[in-house]
Amino acid sequence: MNLALDLAPHLAIAPIVIPALAAPLALLVMRRRRRLGIAISFVSCFAMLAAALALMVQAGDGVIRTYELGGWEAPFGILLVTDRLAAIMLLLAAVLALLALLHAVVTGADRDGWHFHPLLQFQLLGLNGAFLTGDLFNLFVFFEVLLIASYGLMVHGQGSARLKAGVQYVVVNIIGSSLFLIALGLLYSLTGTLNMAQMGLRIAAIGPDDQWLLRVAALLLASVFALKAALVPLHLWLPRTYAVATPAVAALFAIMTKVGVYSLIRVVPQVLGDDAGSAAWAPAPYLLPAAILTAVVGFAGVFVARRLSEQAAYAIIGSTGTLLIAVAAWQVDTLGAALYYLVHSTLAGAALFLIADVVARRRASFSDTVSSGPAFCQRQSVGLLFLVAAIATVGLPPLSGFIGKLLIMESVAGTPGWGWAWAAILLTTLAGVIGFARAGSAIFWKEGPVSDGAEPVHVSRSDMAAPAIALLLVAALAAAAGPATAYGSAAAAQVLDAAATARAVLGEG
Amino acid sequence: MPISLTLFTLAGLPFVAALLIALCADRGRAIHSGIAALASAIGLALTLSLAGQVLAGEEVAVLAAWVPAIGLDFSLMMDPLGLMFAGLILGIGLLVMIFGHYYLAKGEATGRFFASLMLFQGSMLGIVLSGNVLLLLVFWELTSLSSFLLIGFWRDKPEARQGARMALAITGGGGLVLIAGMILLGVVAGSFDLMTILQSADVVQASPLYPVILGLILIGCFTKSAQFPFHFWLPHAMAAPTPVSAYLHSATMVKAGVFLLARLWPVLAGTELYTVVVSSVGLFTMLFGAWVALFRHDLKAILAYSTISQLGLLVMLLGFSLEAAAVAAVLHVLNHAAFKAALFMTAGIVDHEAGTRDIRLLGGLAKVMPVTALVGTLAALAMAGIPPLGGFISKEMMLYEALNVSLFGLPWLVPVVATIAATLSVGYSLRFAAYLFFGQPRDADAHARAHDPGAGMLAAPVVLVSLAVLLGLTPMLLAGTVVSSVAGAVTGAPAPELELSLWHGFNLALGMSALAILVGALLLWRHAALLRRYAAMRHADAKALFERAMRVADLAVRKAVVAVHRPSLQRMVFAVFAVVVLLVVEGTGSGGGLTGPRELLPAPPVAIVAWLLLVAATIAVLVEERQRFRALIYISVIGLVIALAFVHFSAPDLALTQISVEVVTILLLLLSLNLLPKLPRLLSSPTRRLRDGVLAALGGLGVGGAAWAMLTRNPNDPISSFHLDNSYSGGGGTNVVNVTLVDFRAFDTMGEIIVLGIAGIVIYALLDTTSRGAAGARLRSWQEDMPHSPESHPVMFVMSTRILLPLVLVAGIFIFLRGHNEPGGGFIAGLIVAIAFLLQYLASGFDWTDSRRRIGEHILIGFGVLIAVFTGLGSLLFGANFLSTAFDYFTLPLVGEFELATALLFDLGVFSVVLGAVMLALAQLSHIAKRAARAHAAHEAELRETEA
Amino acid sequence: MISLEFLVASAIGVLVAGGIYLSLRGRTFQVVLGLTLFSYAVNLFLFASGRLVVGRAPIWSKSVSEYADPLPQALVLTAIVITFGMTALAVILMLRSFLETGSDQVDGAPSDEPEDEAS
Repeated sequence: MNLALDLAPHLAIAPIVIPALAAPLALLVMRRRRRLGIAISFVSCFAMLAAALALMVQAGDGVIRTYELGGWEAPFGILLVTDRLAAIMLLLAAVLALLALLHAVVTGADRDGWHFHPLLQFQLLGLNGAFLTGDLFNLFVFFEVLLIASYGLMVHGQGSARLKAGVQYVVVNIIGSSLFLIALGLLYSLTGTLNMAQMGLRIAAIGPDDQWLLRVAALLLASVFALKAALVPLHLWLPRTYAVATPAVAALFAIMTKVGVYSLIRVVPQVLGDDAGSAAWAPAPYLLPAAILTAVVGFAGVFVARRLSEQAAYAIIGSTGTLLIAVAAWQVDTLGAALYYLVHSTLAGAALFLIADVVARRRASFSDTVSSGPAFCQRQSVGLLFLVAAIATVGLPPLSGFIGKLLIMESVAGTPGWGWAWAAILLTTLAGVIGFARAGSAIFWKEGPVSDGAEPVHVSRSDMAAPAIALLLVAALAAAAGPATAYGSAAAAQVLDAAATARAVLGEG
Repeated sequence: MPISLTLFTLAGLPFVAALLIALCADRGRAIHSGIAALASAIGLALTLSLAGQVLAGEEVAVLAAWVPAIGLDFSLMMDPLGLMFAGLILGIGLLVMIFGHYYLAKGEATGRFFASLMLFQGSMLGIVLSGNVLLLLVFWELTSLSSFLLIGFWRDKPEARQGARMALAITGGGGLVLIAGMILLGVVAGSFDLMTILQSADVVQASPLYPVILGLILIGCFTKSAQFPFHFWLPHAMAAPTPVSAYLHSATMVKAGVFLLARLWPVLAGTELYTVVVSSVGLFTMLFGAWVALFRHDLKAILAYSTISQLGLLVMLLGFSLEAAAVAAVLHVLNHAAFKAALFMTAGIVDHEAGTRDIRLLGGLAKVMPVTALVGTLAALAMAGIPPLGGFISKEMMLYEALNVSLFGLPWLVPVVATIAATLSVGYSLRFAAYLFFGQPRDADAHARAHDPGAGMLAAPVVLVSLAVLLGLTPMLLAGTVVSSVAGAVTGAPAPELELSLWHGFNLALGMSALAILVGALLLWRHAALLRRYAAMRHADAKALFERAMRVADLAVRKAVVAVHRPSLQRMVFAVFAVVVLLVVEGTGSGGGLTGPRELLPAPPVAIVAWLLLVAATIAVLVEERQRFRALIYISVIGLVIALAFVHFSAPDLALTQISVEVVTILLLLLSLNLLPKLPRLLSSPTRRLRDGVLAALGGLGVGGAAWAMLTRNPNDPISSFHLDNSYSGGGGTNVVNVTLVDFRAFDTMGEIIVLGIAGIVIYALLDTTSRGAAGARLRSWQEDMPHSPESHPVMFVMSTRILLPLVLVAGIFIFLRGHNEPGGGFIAGLIVAIAFLLQYLASGFDWTDSRRRIGEHILIGFGVLIAVFTGLGSLLFGANFLSTAFDYFTLPLVGEFELATALLFDLGVFSVVLGAVMLALAQLSHIAKRAARAHAAHEAELRETEA
Repeated sequence: MISLEFLVASAIGVLVAGGIYLSLRGRTFQVVLGLTLFSYAVNLFLFASGRLVVGRAPIWSKSVSEYADPLPQALVLTAIVITFGMTALAVILMLRSFLETGSDQVDGAPSDEPEDEAS
């Protein structure tokens, strides 16, 4: 037998194997040799970044590659599908992980409880798996992996607020997972397969007598994804969960709602496309109104939030709404806009959470509340960070938020209900501007009375690194908007061409 | 230097300067202002270097692609209009930088100040140089942002913060509306390139969207240029340092709206709608601003309202859609920039030297600060439009044009109102000069304090006011060519022949302005009386209204947001189920019968009995929800029935798994219930229970119905036929389920055990801290309240479990090994062994077992996952894909013939993780109470020691 | 004649109803019981997607040709394990939060602990 190990063909599995090795290793060494554990965590994240970049370059040629696990051919085994969309999501996850990790280590948040690093790695394992798999049940499994890891991270550091919010987060998501299983059962009983591509093909052939079952299954599945994406009214779990989570964790969670959005983008065109009879684009009619509502609710929260972390949490909801406004049209250019905005809003949201922490660490009892306290150290620079993050989040020029919103507005123009979409986007932007202006001027401009003997806390600048990097990336995304949008719309075109994916996956003509 | 490079440098320079200043923020004031002034000067030089080509009508433009996807290019161009504004921005900018250097005290944050100023300069320059409307939007919003920073420069002043926020809300908001308008415009015109848009007037004005586009764009312009009813932010922006006001609020930012109107004239102007809306808004704003300005007392407030009025004048002129009016507008832009900046600086000097800006406390300053007085007076006269100053000519032209326009079919309306406004402006201008510099000093010490500032501070206003004068004396020489070619650029027609001079011979316009001057002087004379009248009237305070609106909105929205997002799990869960049920109901509408063709299996009596048992148990759980222990028993009954069902429906593996999981789950619940209240008060009201009941019933019907529909339909040739065929040949096992788990779908299983492992370590992390903090305190005070056998470790139980352990272990290994062919496998084996160990814990207590435990659970979990992953990776060595398996057959005593598959190794990982996770969960939990008791005892002991 | 299919379907319905009802109650323990019932139902449902087959366990042998669909069984097995992990974690979290706050209420009633400080 030939032991010459050629790893190139196995690139697709790397984003899953790397954290799958790093997590247990970190778990084993962590208790005695903390530094080594951290090192493992960092190495793993960088390795994932490299793998993601490699996949992004590879997918750039427009070829949809598949990786059959256990060598079992599709549709009988499980297989990974690497296309542009997967590459984008993988890269985003890796970048976000590095930011969260960096911040956690710098601020020592990873020491607030057991197993931060293993859980972080497991979380990434779940995310990457979800982005790569081409099998619906396997998607469920990876959902569970990333969820249960997120439960652990969510209550990391504990304290009553986190534990209470944790209970709600866990229960809601367990229900979501159960619904996912019901939908899966229906789809398997109807199509006899779990491979998404084949499922899409077989759904087209389902008889008239089964149409209602099909539509029910489709709507169930969509609502599960909507729950993950925190689409109004399925968003109620999010604000407290994110607002009380350890900031580094919350920053990482910025991608969690995007997993729901990703699943919609991945599954709806592939499985519930034009030929899906009663289930064709099943969620479409509900998506736009819900998305608009979500954007409004989210930025209403930003408008009135009383803590920066709360504000960041609502910003996540709002941006997801804006994002889904674009998704709802299911066209190449709208979806391309959505993908660009997805990357942007994830980074911006993460930056906000981190900055909220940077502020809280300097203001002693005032924490990150929107109130005027005594001046604190490095106020200028922190204020600048906040300003930039706010600009990015609400989508003012010159950062990627503005370009993203331009993209969305331009691309949805003319699609049904675009007037409402535009109104919502502009209105929510204004609400965001006012909300952030108020918060910023209260915290960074106004000098409150030096009360309750809160002596100034002295913190090193180092904790500004992670948010600063995040914002630099946002700026880079704006500067490189040309190529970025090009890749995004190419990815969108690829996703919407379900037939091509099916051919690539099932190898039929 | 090539044009492209010049333009890029021009656009980039201010931002570079801002960055530089920010970088050396802790250096001295001179460095900051120096960089700023130098950058402005270079910019001015570059602009002038292009002037020749621009005025000669050559194309001065450059384009670099940015986001082709939306037609947003980094495209810069300079035509006469852009040239003039660039000149203003940089020229006045230079003067403001110099003035600002002397104006700001040494101690102040000059770094931040000049950096923001340069940021603004760059944004403003960007607006006038943009050759792409989307790029223009970018810079447009940037001016709002930078002015926000500048108005709020004195952070500790509440009025500064409020003024800044208000300006941002209004101009930024207007900018958002403008974005909508511009995108529509671009979509209709088919391009976002400015030149293309300017040439597609016919398309745009024919489009049904034209009114919408016009409305949106006008809102953008009016908010920026402080037109009624969006004017109110400007007076409050006066909280900014005076140099800022001189720069932003006289010459540049507020002119952005006017600029955009002029810029888009070719494509938007000329229609009835345009003329009516724009001119009437301008007309009214002109009148309103002038009227209010007459009665202000704060110098800067007077100037702010006069600016509003003058902007109204410009807007009105552009609204006329007449070429000659455009000429007047262009000329007045120059005039106003010159005298208004000078006036602001004068006000700043007075404030600086006399320590107050209240016109009622000032007067007679001509004696103590003659130069300032001269400058201020000349500027004021220019503003009043008194010959022979520049202001006169443009106002004269305005009045002349006013005569040619009839609004709402009333030919007299515009001229009359314009004359009145002119009169008022004469009034406030004269008042400004007279009250400030002449007459008797009203406040002695302000007067005593005052004196002319140094030459440095005076330089800028002197230069400006001389311009204002020269624009009157030698208009053609100074501005002739510029004005005509700019007017040409505005209208898009060839540059008009024009002849600017003070004397046009006797005409109606001359009469009107003579009247205006006379009556204006009269106004000054009778001002006191007028002021009393004015004060007697009630005036809406726009700022108060705005602030109140904000507060109300904030409270209302806050209330709603909080109300919706109450931390109620019930609400969240209800929302989820409600949405799902609704969707399911909607889905059932789309075609197909409930029952399918599949032939059904008759139910044997035993099945019916089991069913009854299950239903009864479920109901029992519901009705006895307060009886928590009993509830657990019912639950386990349900689980048992389901396991039996699995057996009956040919799923032995499932049955085994179900049973063993059942046991562990129940144990877990028991142990945790041990620490929970046993008979809690019930919470929900009857109505809520009814509501939930209905929802639950619907959900049950839905899922049950779906299950029925599914069960009565025939399968759609499932892929599992492949698994059945290949299980033995390809997977090396006869138990297809197990082979599926460890081979066909081993990837799922890998995920599954990772989930379990994570659960284990999270549970550990959760429980490890239980003895601390609030929880610890609660545990210490917690009293065991469950029936216990008197002795802590009953001997029989202990002995039996210790004998049992090895047997169970053997059984576990056996089940593990046969798993690949018969029901069983790593998972079940893991559970069984775990249960065995658990019995040890329960029987012999934590310490005994713990001391005899060789490897910690974390190790088990860690290694389990590693084994699984490495098994998967192993196949890579053989060039096969991840998780590919290989197998061969061996014989072993007792177990008999069996095969060793790499899958078995994988299963070993499963075993290890399951064991570790379950042990972690249960052992930790079972130990909490004991640890708590121990902590309790320790606590007691401490107390006793402290007493002793 | 009552069919097995009917029994299974109705049992699933009953369990779902019970599960939903309990998961809407105000205390964590009831919610957990609800989730348990719900997950029973879901596992049964997923299993049912392979239809009901009696006495043909998917243990391969040369003699037999017809088997029960093994795939749903494998899926359910995975689902059971995952559900167990989730439930276990939920139970412990619920217990932990009770110990921390002294309240096992989840209805967000004002009697709740103060929300704000995240230690």
